[in-house]
Amino acid sequence: MTAPTNHAAWTSEPSAFARRAFLRSTVAGSLLMPGILSQLHGDDAAAFDPLAVKPPHFPAKAKQIIFLFMTGGVSHVDTFDPKPALTRDHGKEIKADHPEIKNRPGYERIFLKRSQWEFAPHGQCGTEVSTLFPNLAKCVDEIALIRSMHTSHSNHYNATLGMHTGSFAFSRPSIGSWMSYGLGTHNANLPGFVVIAPQQTYAGTQVYASDFLPGSHQGTLVVPGETPVANVVSRIPMPQQSRELAALTALNRRHLGDRGGDPLLETRLRSFETAFGMQMAVPEAFELEREDEATLSLYGLQRGQTTGFSWQCLVARRLVERGVRFVELIDTGSSNNWDAHGDMKTHVPLAKNVDQPIAGLLRDLKRRGMLDETLVVWTTEFGRTPFNNTADAPGREHHPWAFSSWLAGAGVRKGIVHGATDEHGLRAVEQPVHVHDLHATILHLMGFDHERLTFRHAGRDYRLTDVHGRVVREVLA
Amino acid sequence: MSGQRLAATRLQWWGSLPRRRCAATVLVAAAALFARPAVAAATDAAAEAVFEKEVRPLLVNRCFKCHAGEKAGGGLSLETRDGWAAGGESGPAIVPGDAEASLLMQAVRGDALVWRMPPEDTGPPLSADEIAVLARWVADGAFDPRVATASIGGMSEVEAQSWWAFAPLAATDPLGGPERIDALLNAHIAEAGLPVAEAADERTFLRRATYDLTGLPPTAAEVDAFAADLSSDKTLRLIDRLLASPDYGVRYGRHWLDLVRYADTAGENTDRPLPHAWRYRNWVINALNADTPYDEFVRLQLAGDLVRAGEPREALNEGIVATGYLAIARRFGHDIQKDRHLTYEDVIDNLGKTFLGLTTGCARCHDHKYDPVSNADYYALCGILESTRFAFPGCEPQGQPRDLVPLVSAEEIAAAREAWEQHKATYEAAVAAQAATAEAGAGELGDLLPSQPGPEPVFPLAYAVVDAEPTDVPIQLRGDPEQLGEVVPRRWLDVFGGEKVAAEAGSGRAELAEWILAEPLAARVIVNRLWQWHFGRGLVATANDFGSRGEPPSHPELLDWLAARFLAEGGRLKPMHRLIMQTQAYRRSSLTRQAAVEADPDNRLLARFTRRRLSAEELQDTLLAVTDRLDRSAGEAHPFPPESTWKFTQHGPFEAVYPTTRRSVYVMRPRQRQHPFFALFDGADPNASTPRRETTTVPTQALYFLNDRFFHEQAEALAARLTAEYPPPPVGGSLAATRIHQAFSLALQRAATNEEIELLSVLVEDTAVDEVAAWTGLARVVLASSEFLHVD
Repeated sequence: MTAPTNHAAWTSEPSAFARRAFLRSTVAGSLLMPGILSQLHGDDAAAFDPLAVKPPHFPAKAKQIIFLFMTGGVSHVDTFDPKPALTRDHGKEIKADHPEIKNRPGYERIFLKRSQWEFAPHGQCGTEVSTLFPNLAKCVDEIALIRSMHTSHSNHYNATLGMHTGSFAFSRPSIGSWMSYGLGTHNANLPGFVVIAPQQTYAGTQVYASDFLPGSHQGTLVVPGETPVANVVSRIPMPQQSRELAALTALNRRHLGDRGGDPLLETRLRSFETAFGMQMAVPEAFELEREDEATLSLYGLQRGQTTGFSWQCLVARRLVERGVRFVELIDTGSSNNWDAHGDMKTHVPLAKNVDQPIAGLLRDLKRRGMLDETLVVWTTEFGRTPFNNTADAPGREHHPWAFSSWLAGAGVRKGIVHGATDEHGLRAVEQPVHVHDLHATILHLMGFDHERLTFRHAGRDYRLTDVHGRVVREVLA
Repeated sequence: MSGQRLAATRLQWWGSLPRRRCAATVLVAAAALFARPAVAAATDAAAEAVFEKEVRPLLVNRCFKCHAGEKAGGGLSLETRDGWAAGGESGPAIVPGDAEASLLMQAVRGDALVWRMPPEDTGPPLSADEIAVLARWVADGAFDPRVATASIGGMSEVEAQSWWAFAPLAATDPLGGPERIDALLNAHIAEAGLPVAEAADERTFLRRATYDLTGLPPTAAEVDAFAADLSSDKTLRLIDRLLASPDYGVRYGRHWLDLVRYADTAGENTDRPLPHAWRYRNWVINALNADTPYDEFVRLQLAGDLVRAGEPREALNEGIVATGYLAIARRFGHDIQKDRHLTYEDVIDNLGKTFLGLTTGCARCHDHKYDPVSNADYYALCGILESTRFAFPGCEPQGQPRDLVPLVSAEEIAAAREAWEQHKATYEAAVAAQAATAEAGAGELGDLLPSQPGPEPVFPLAYAVVDAEPTDVPIQLRGDPEQLGEVVPRRWLDVFGGEKVAAEAGSGRAELAEWILAEPLAARVIVNRLWQWHFGRGLVATANDFGSRGEPPSHPELLDWLAARFLAEGGRLKPMHRLIMQTQAYRRSSLTRQAAVEADPDNRLLARFTRRRLSAEELQDTLLAVTDRLDRSAGEAHPFPPESTWKFTQHGPFEAVYPTTRRSVYVMRPRQRQHPFFALFDGADPNASTPRRETTTVPTQALYFLNDRFFHEQAEALAARLTAEYPPPPVGGSLAATRIHQAFSLALQRAATNEEIELLSVLVEDTAVDEVAAWTGLARVVLASSEFLHVD
């Protein structure tokens, strides 16, 4: 290498003998991970470790998040936003300067289209939910439902990206990465940000990318299946693995030092420490055998089942129980999802897939006392049009003007409905909540001022909410 | 648009550079096309504010009910300036600057001579304030920015015609060497005041270039030879050696397979194997090794069967196999015939992105929202695909594969079949006759029998396409195949002229290829990819999107120069590699101070080289190479279960991982269940075009280096190699040091430092099991090191 090294530790040892002793102490095997990095970095360990636990801006009840993302665009007027006037005015022609119909052949005229599902009030609070979510309907007393969500884009890619990163066009760090960056992780033996998804969404890996934030904050993808996380069983005795890891860390650290602290290389160095811990932590975290029948049935999970949203929900509980900061559960991928252009009836199996598991998750968290420190967020990328180009059209189109999301758990006001759409569910008219506002609120619930959680990149401070965002105080307990 | 434009810009895929020399001046000066329209003057801004805030809402709310849309009342449309200027049955509605003379004002004021507007049955008269707003607006000149522009998809025709990516290549002399490229790059670096990294050392350069062109590390012998070579043209000779290596096609073929989302399964609900798709994969690799001119490379993939029709069998077969590009399109759903509109979308999306950097697939359900691709354009292309018979991979309700294309002539097949059947018949007759004789109690068995016939002859097949009955297809409203609109003739995209497929021309695939190749866009897109493959980032960072949502080029003049040069080189890639790899920019070190990195985090200006992680394929191939277990032979068919045994269902889909020690481009890549190794290390998505590999760094990758079986096996093999090649007792010097040097030489292409030898000797000494176990531990450390995994 021609470049000068800025790492002189190895050559500053006074004698060969002393150096050998030092090396031996490093590699001797008595030193078990995860202490290696602390050892090597000395006093700088905390500064070096991007995942060290950090306090938020102000005390908050929520310590971790489970973020439930329904991909494709869930129809609000068929699920959480009852619209009697839409039923009454079914078939009536309306005018709307809507992004999905502009200049679109066959869409010169549009007509209101009613929901085919009944709504009824539930719980003490009386929040109305459609028959698509019979189990979740029983949990409304825990939920702060926002019926006035709106977003900035009507394309799947952009809206999905926006919901995850606050940017509707460019790659930016995802909300989970921001949380990991802001809070660090309680459990060095597990990734701080885990995404459990059977397939990729429309925005692919950008949904959990750390982008310019240090790579340790990137989401680790877990695909449901018999081996959700591969290679967690060590093939060699632990003392030997520790010795090898110490030597590897020493080599890699020197390599990193020669390369000006390339963040990617640094992330890689750090990832071995997490990986080492995962060998113990992962099998234990994913071991659902120890869950009793009552718990499994709460989620609607068959014993031995290793896929499905019920499995994802139960694993999510176990992960946050073990200190993972941010768990995102994605229900489907970029096909066969909630994108019901063709027929609203495709919402039936999708709702069934998540209804009991989510209700089970809320109940399980509550009975364990975990709901007091876990924030649960349910959302989608946009809603669906309350109209179509014929009233009999069986599907609905993308609708960025209005949709429903909900929050539950730590710091959230229980059993309320915030905001409203107009009588037909076309626009969020009362107390509209933009995606940026939802992000600001989530950050607030986690103890952050969304304007102060920033990262300097390419000459400016970036934040999740860009230059937008308003905390929705009405949903705070 | 149309014919004229095409004539001016149609690309010529010229032959050699000298012939091109005189053609250089032919290129039309197009620099002006890069310039943006002038910004509106400040006075316009004020007038525009008035119009937007006061006038437009008034027109929309009070007039549009009748004077807008197709049936504008009285023939008057107030939707655009042209609308009111032309006026309706009573003449122009507005005389700019003269409110009194304007019919519009007379009408809203209810002057006696014209109809009062709005009519009484439609709404109340305008208020005095509203009338005053209109009067002031008209008196001030009736500023109205609403132009009735014809648009194509999501762009106005005007904008589309001047879109930088579609414009003719800037006039430029395509001559010159690597210094031309450096000059263009260095100007931007100097402008930004960035410090330029020094040249990388020889070993780093050798490693970089070797991985870049072959996906493998240099061997120890190559390192030594390069170091010992003192000649001045050693770099060029190195590049030429690498370009001539068959491993070049493996590496660059993989780049292409990423783009065309190559897979070995169909992707429908049962994810059936495609036992013949490998021929296309190998064709790509061979075509790149042969440096097939890019125009031919594209033409064959879209219409090889047509353009090679009538040629000798070998040439024809090449053409047939190349159309595997179309055949490998993803299949969808349960009954793939019913969902073939989704397969067409997959093809249209892919060919738009791959060849033109255009997201054409977006136009299936509606006009493209941002780029000039209309819904009708989409169905014009769809007709070409509907006029093509795709090899059918089978699916759960439709049974086994069919419509594969034989690679021998029908006559040969018929002749071979006939011969076989005759043989069989003769044999059976003989058997029967003998049996009869035997029954009659006479004669010996076996003596006079002809040889037993073999199994029915099989012929090599290609997973490919051929022309079907030509047909135009109707628009599927909102992408719904059940709701049909107007039939669209098969033709090229409107924005590029919209030329129709001639009546006698067949499907139109051959025309499609020529239309694509005629666009300057096609040349820009491929040279941009080439640049990205060398530097990690394209001059256009969004290599699959040159449309309005993509990023503009960082160095537009360089992009056009490269495109012009590429044409001058006859569309051959190898001379371009040679040129780019000789630049100073390519030689720069990646070791820079953090400050320089922060000044240009994405390294757009290339003041340094971008360090990269090995791709999944490079990692696996290197692990096999350093242990000398890499099988360099080309893979062919995968060991799929025989077709006759297939009973795949959506609940029991095909699923397999076939280990191999060949180059990993030959690994079987399924669509539905990503191969776990490639999924872990950011391999290409076999369901969508992958223009650029992402690099994630996650603990699950670290777990691979800790515990993966294959990784451990390679470490064991390396240890075995070290201990076998350097058995004790040592002949002078330290045995441990010798072996550590050897491990470094194989894995990292350099000698170990004294510190490294000390550190690793301690590791080996302390692993007090047995010798091989100790050296296996060392091998694991070296093979898991960041230096092993990254290219500087």
